[in-house]
Amino acid sequence: MRRSAARKTGQSNSTAPITSSATDLFRSASSKASSKEMERIDNLFYSYANRSSGLIDPEGIENLCSDMEVDHTDVRILMLAWKMKAEKQGYFTVEEWRRGLKALRADTVNKLKKALPELEKEVKRPSNFVDFYSYSFRYCLTEEKQKSIDIESICQLLDLVLGSHFRAQVDYFIEYLKIQNDYKVINMDQWMGFYHFCTEISFPDLSNYDPELAWPLILDNFVEWMQEKRT
Amino acid sequence: MLSMRFTITTLVALVLKSFIEKERGRGKSTLNSSGCVSNIQFWHNFRNAYNMVLHKFGEKLYSGLVSTMTSHLKEISKSIEAAQGDSFLEELNRKWNDHNKALQMIRDILMYMDRTYIPSTHKTPVHELGLNLWRDNIIHSSKIQTRLLNTLLELVHRERTGEVIDRGLMRNIIKMLMDLGSLVYQEDFEKPFLEVSAEFYKVESQEFIECCDCGEYLKKAEKRLNEEIERVTHYLDAKSEVKITNVVEKEMIANHMLSLVHMENSGLVNMLLDDKYEDLGRMYNLFRRVPNGLLTIREVMTSHLRETGKQLVTDPERLKDPVEFVQRLLDEKDKYDSIISLAFSNDKTFQNALNSSFEYFINLNARSPEFISLFVDDKLRKGLKGVSEEDVEVILDKVMMLFRYLQEKDVFEKYYKQHLAKRLLSGKTVSDDAERSLIVKLKTECGYQFTSKLEGMFTDMKTSQDTMQGFYASHPELGDGPTLVVQVLTTGSWPTQPNVTCNLPAEMSALCEKFRSYYLGTHTGRRLSWQTNMGTADVKATFGKGQKHELNVSTFQMCVLMLFNNADRLSYKEIEQATEIPASDLKRCLQSMACVKGKNVLRKEPMSKDIGEEDAFFVNDKFTSKFYKVKIGTVVAQKESEPEKQETRQRVEEDRKPQIEAAIVRIMKSRRVLDHNNIIAEVTKQLQSRFLANPTEIKKRIESLIERDFLERDTIDRKLYRYLA
Repeated sequence: MRRSAARKTGQSNSTAPITSSATDLFRSASSKASSKEMERIDNLFYSYANRSSGLIDPEGIENLCSDMEVDHTDVRILMLAWKMKAEKQGYFTVEEWRRGLKALRADTVNKLKKALPELEKEVKRPSNFVDFYSYSFRYCLTEEKQKSIDIESICQLLDLVLGSHFRAQVDYFIEYLKIQNDYKVINMDQWMGFYHFCTEISFPDLSNYDPELAWPLILDNFVEWMQEKRT
Repeated sequence: MLSMRFTITTLVALVLKSFIEKERGRGKSTLNSSGCVSNIQFWHNFRNAYNMVLHKFGEKLYSGLVSTMTSHLKEISKSIEAAQGDSFLEELNRKWNDHNKALQMIRDILMYMDRTYIPSTHKTPVHELGLNLWRDNIIHSSKIQTRLLNTLLELVHRERTGEVIDRGLMRNIIKMLMDLGSLVYQEDFEKPFLEVSAEFYKVESQEFIECCDCGEYLKKAEKRLNEEIERVTHYLDAKSEVKITNVVEKEMIANHMLSLVHMENSGLVNMLLDDKYEDLGRMYNLFRRVPNGLLTIREVMTSHLRETGKQLVTDPERLKDPVEFVQRLLDEKDKYDSIISLAFSNDKTFQNALNSSFEYFINLNARSPEFISLFVDDKLRKGLKGVSEEDVEVILDKVMMLFRYLQEKDVFEKYYKQHLAKRLLSGKTVSDDAERSLIVKLKTECGYQFTSKLEGMFTDMKTSQDTMQGFYASHPELGDGPTLVVQVLTTGSWPTQPNVTCNLPAEMSALCEKFRSYYLGTHTGRRLSWQTNMGTADVKATFGKGQKHELNVSTFQMCVLMLFNNADRLSYKEIEQATEIPASDLKRCLQSMACVKGKNVLRKEPMSKDIGEEDAFFVNDKFTSKFYKVKIGTVVAQKESEPEKQETRQRVEEDRKPQIEAAIVRIMKSRRVLDHNNIIAEVTKQLQSRFLANPTEIKKRIESLIERDFLERDTIDRKLYRYLA
């Protein structure tokens, strides 16, 4: 601390070379800045966190959202959770908070809000999107050992996560899910299968779909249903 | 020089002349009667020839030979041409013989030239020369060539139309052509012969097709074929046999194959239906000679078989009687086995076609496994009574053969188990040996797993006998009371039954309790539950006029009857309360005792067929039967009702799920990584001996295994699955 302060005022130690002083200046400046930033991030955390649990709980998230002027069901909150690698739906730990905000370089609510469009772009990149898509499923598994999500929630999640990209597929698939009886829940394999379905199969003609391949059975049934609808 | 020339000419002319003179029957010759040159003259000529060659006059000798012989042959030719009608061939034959003899002699005389001059100048050797000259001047002479061919073909034609011809003469002439070289034989005879024959048979086959039925036609074709073969042996070159038979085969068989096979009222299908072994055998032997002949027969047979088989298994009339149904299948198989062995010389490809057809249509009916089990049940209950051991084996082997065709062998297993249980428990099996024999056959076919439970059932029966003996031995005081016979069934081995209890009459329940404590005394840790819906009882009854009968009834019926020892009149409700038998069973039980003629040991008011809640029951004191022992309502294996069928089918489907999963895990454990299509194929193959696995069901099981973290999908290639240890 003291050395950097001395550097700032121009007093230099004659024994130290000029270059190292520059990097030291930078390092100390950034470390000071970063530690200041970290402090601000932490402060921001605790402003939303629950006193007794030390975590940001659903209520805190709701407050955050209203401060950011974003609806708490907005997909961008999910994206934020993804950036944080948050494990439990509706809760942020301090490590997760730090991770996310540091990566977004946001230490105030305003900066956080401003970082959202950039975050959206980042998620939409194909390399990231698959990861985000599978994350969103895992994020909704609330119970320990839970492997599947009920149809109702899946429909909402699909709309949220894929609705903007694959409107038609999502709409038809949601319709199908609601009327079929074979499955009451959807597992990760089926969830991922649907994403690949959207990116690979031409829609709505479904001409390149081959039921002999390893598509999850629910998609075979969906395709059959679509084809029956058409005739 | 002059003398030399003279010598040549005289030499050759002399030899030839002697032939001419001999013919004319006068003049001396250098030949004796058998055509041998007298020695002196021979050597004289020989020496002359020798000298000529030695002194370099070979050329002259040779050319002289050629010219002399040629002009001589031209003369001969004229005499042959002059021959009329039938004597043409005879004259030709005669002259040919003469020529041959002369040639021999000339060759001998000119031997030195043959061995020295000719090879060094590459000229044609004497004998061959003689043949060539004959060919060129006689056979290929314009007046003879065509006439010869036509004469020969005419004779063949006449023979084909039934006339007798001079075969010896034909043989000689043909041999002459063969001797002149295979080219001569082929060009001057064989080729035209084959063409004309083709034309002949084309016409004839067309006539036959129009006027004969299939069987007759085939007889005629066979006859013609044999005739041609005979013709070749008698007077043609052996190499012609395959060529002429090809012609007959093509014209008479190959060209009409489809019309013959599909001929209305007499074609292949009719022959099959009427077991015309001889005709079928003939067709087989003829058709195998032509390309796709047997294939054609096989295809028509297969499609006919599949069609009749399909009708058989989908005919609602036939489905009413399962035993009859299976018997018809066996009869059909027997029929075709006979046809294949008697007419198709046990041809393996036909056997295979038969098997694949049976496999096809047997599995068209989903109840085939059930029906086959019912057939076996019928046989083991009564059908095999009095049948010798070998015949029993024959019947069981035939059943096994049908079993092999089944795709859903596990369905058969389920029904077989049910039916076997009923047979064993009612003591209604005709022969223990026959039962065991069939189990052994099933084990050989399907492995130990298939039959272990069935064997368990037999073991239980035996063990129960021993247990009963032990029970009565240790309870001598029970000798006077009702006799109890208990069969203790191990739950896993026997088909699952709903657990039904009822209130047994006091005497029985006390006895049963004694048994229970006896049994549990020797087998701790077990649980016994009485299956009152499965037992039988023999009840001695005395009716109103003192008539005594022994009634063989079910346990339920016994409970009902015993109530009447303490009451004359009982309402349905009272009976229900006292016995606690489930309503539907109770109603059937009462109906069988009150509403069936000849078995009405009870009387019902009102007399209707249906059982109403308020109905009253009495002992029928007027009951009569000419038999002392009366059997009322035994448990018999029947064709399942619709809801029962659904239930069985569902249980089978449920049982298949773990089997499919086990197969998937087994395969993935050894392969580690495998793609989707290969898994489906491997699993199907592994389960083939029990049932035909549905690819959709396999997919479902795979997904279930993925969910339970036994497998995972490869992240890059989603068609691949990986085994998770």
